[in-house]
Amino acid sequence: MTVLILTCEEDVTADMVVVHLNASGVPVVRLDPADLTGDAALSGEFVHGSFRGHLSSGGRLVSIGGIRSVWVRRPGEAAARAAEPSAWLTEESGQALYGMLRDCGARWMNEPDAAHRARYKPWQLRLAQRCGLPVPATLITTFPRAAREFAARYPDLVVKPVSGAHPQDPPLAVPTSRVPPEADFSAVAHGPTLLQRRVAKRADIRLTAVGAELLAARKTTLACPDPEEVDVRFTASPEPWRPAEVPPRVAESVRAYLRAAHLAYGAFDFAEDGDGTWWFLECNQSGQFGFVEVDTGQPIARTIAEWLARPAFGEPVDAGGPGTAAVG
Amino acid sequence: MQPFALNYARPAVELEATTPYVYDSGLQLNVLLDGRVAAGDHALLRELGTTTSTAGSKTHFDD
Repeated sequence: MTVLILTCEEDVTADMVVVHLNASGVPVVRLDPADLTGDAALSGEFVHGSFRGHLSSGGRLVSIGGIRSVWVRRPGEAAARAAEPSAWLTEESGQALYGMLRDCGARWMNEPDAAHRARYKPWQLRLAQRCGLPVPATLITTFPRAAREFAARYPDLVVKPVSGAHPQDPPLAVPTSRVPPEADFSAVAHGPTLLQRRVAKRADIRLTAVGAELLAARKTTLACPDPEEVDVRFTASPEPWRPAEVPPRVAESVRAYLRAAHLAYGAFDFAEDGDGTWWFLECNQSGQFGFVEVDTGQPIARTIAEWLARPAFGEPVDAGGPGTAAVG
Repeated sequence: MQPFALNYARPAVELEATTPYVYDSGLQLNVLLDGRVAAGDHALLRELGTTTSTAGSKTHFDD
């Protein structure tokens, strides 16, 4: 039984996991949907009440029925590198690929519908609340008056994108930024705006959840020359990530979150305040983990590999054997 | 008519630096010029930042 990894070639983070799968002798097929109709191909037939399908990539052929798990890492847009790409071909290719994989019996990290839903930050905040995780006071609004009233109640605010996406024309980055109390909120009317009470943090926490395994890392907040800079992704810090213990109540809440979200993997961001409370900021359902492993030495890649290598639903525990073959 | 959040936007930093490894489709891994697997060189990964959570990715916003 084979592990199918949907990702792009340059994804060296995926490599960290492939290395472990190779060492365990688990067959792997790495496929970038962008290569469909070029270096990647698919076929499936629905005949006599049954389904048989195959995928090929990089000279490897895998039976869809022989896939034990699917890891959706950093897949390209389907058929993006086809000889004559088009929006129509992308839709056709995506429907064919993901449609055939949806019900193949494999375990997913993460299941596509769950992954899609998990990207909604407002949904994340509500689920985190329900699971008992502390969430900083947050407002998402297009009402300038609501923003002004919120700022009056919580004068120390940050603003961040609702979606986490960044404009591309021209390319811009929208970091989490402090909002001065005297800010003019009239532009809130021009786009949904997420305002959040700033957590006076003493550390950033990155908690990587792989199945039931929780691996947390902590980066102490150093005095920053620019007190306005609050986004850890934009601050060059000599402080490394270090392994951290997960408080039992946080662990319980995170596991409840994953269960409710139907996620096998999640990278949780918290801000630790002066009292040691971990404030939930977001859960990235496909968050990066390599930078944490590189700093902490925590076995995140190995843990992912072990999760992916487990038997598929209904597969005998000792099943090995065929599933992947070289294409002649 | 600019949305409020874009008042705090800044030009995206292009991380198009050339990487010292290439994808080997036989191994299904990126390898360095000397043949070593790039993922095994943690010092290099740290230096390149290719495994890092970054804002402003063109293709993936949940990192």
